[in-house]
Amino acid sequence: MSAERITRREMLKRLVVAPVGAAALATLPVREGSAAALQPYYEPYFVAVLWEGRTRCDSLWRSLKGDVVAILPTVQGTTPYDRLYWTGYALGSAPVNVNMRVLARAVDHNGVPLGAGWRPVGQATIQTPPLRWFRVEIPEGHWDEYRIEVRSATPRLVYSRVIASQGYWKE
Amino acid sequence: MPVRFLKNASELADVSMESPLPVQVANAKPVPADTLLIATTPVTTAANRDLLGYTATEVPTLDNCMQYRKLVWVYFRQGDADTNYRILARATDISGIPLGSGWQELVPPTTLPGGANSWNRIEIPATTDGYYDQYRIEVWRTAGSDYILVSKLIGVR
Repeated sequence: MSAERITRREMLKRLVVAPVGAAALATLPVREGSAAALQPYYEPYFVAVLWEGRTRCDSLWRSLKGDVVAILPTVQGTTPYDRLYWTGYALGSAPVNVNMRVLARAVDHNGVPLGAGWRPVGQATIQTPPLRWFRVEIPEGHWDEYRIEVRSATPRLVYSRVIASQGYWKE
Repeated sequence: MPVRFLKNASELADVSMESPLPVQVANAKPVPADTLLIATTPVTTAANRDLLGYTATEVPTLDNCMQYRKLVWVYFRQGDADTNYRILARATDISGIPLGSGWQELVPPTTLPGGANSWNRIEIPATTDGYYDQYRIEVWRTAGSDYILVSKLIGVR
C-alpha cells in the first residue's frame, strides 16, 4: 500500500486534474467482489474519528489537545459509543515512558456536567522502545465527555488518533 | 492509473487488497444510545422513593424500555451519607399495563457506591440482558444528612 498525507484542497485539485473513469475502475488491482469477500472479517461496528493530532508531553498532566485546564474535555458527544480506542505513536530516540489517565463525565441536556470533576476511568504507563506504535482501549463507554491526559518526564511528541465504536443492530 | 480515495481526514491511499475502498456493512445499522432520564433527587430517609421523587411503589421511574438491552445509570452524588439503592423491573402488555402488580427485584437493597462529590456508574442489569418494559430505581439514605443525587440514565440497545 502506498499512501501520502495531503490537504483536502490538494486532493480536490488532483481529482479535478485526474478524474476517475470507468476504464480505470475496470483495471483496479482488487479481487472481484472484494468488499463482500472481506465482510466476514470486517468488524461490523460503526466507527467515528473523535480526534487526531499531536501532543507535546511534558511533566504536567495535559489533555491530548495540549491544555492543562482540568475542566476541559478532550472529546465530547460520546454518548452513543460503546468504547474508545486511542492509537498513538511517540517520537524521540529515548524509550517511551508516558503516563496516561482517562477521565469521564456525563452532561445534562444543555451540555452542562452533572457535577464537578471527573470519574477516573483508568490510569496506566505506556512503555515501549522508541518510535513504536501503541494502542489504548477504553472499554467504559457511553459517557458524554472524556478527558485523556498524558505526561512524561522526558519531553516528547506524541501523535494520536482517538476513535470510537458504536454497537450495531443487525436487521 | 491507480485509483485513490480519501482514507481518513488527510490520507490519500491507493486502492489495493490491503487498502480496499470503504464499505458499509450490509443489513446492519448503528444504534445510538438514548438518553432516557436526567434527574436531580434529594436523597432522604424516605422509604421507597425513586429517582423522580415518587414514593408510590407502583409508579415506574422509566417506561417503554423494551428495546434496550441495558441501561447505564451514571450519577454524581454530592454527599457521602450511607445510602442504599434498589432496582426493580417488570413487563407490560401491549397497552402498557403491567402484567401483574409488584416488581421483579433486579438488585436488592445495596449500598450506593461513591463518596461525596464523586462520579459513579451502574449498569442495569449488571450482567444479563434487560429488555424489561419498566424500571423503578429507588434510593434512600440510611445515615448522615440529606444530599442531592444527580442522575442520568442511558438506554443501550
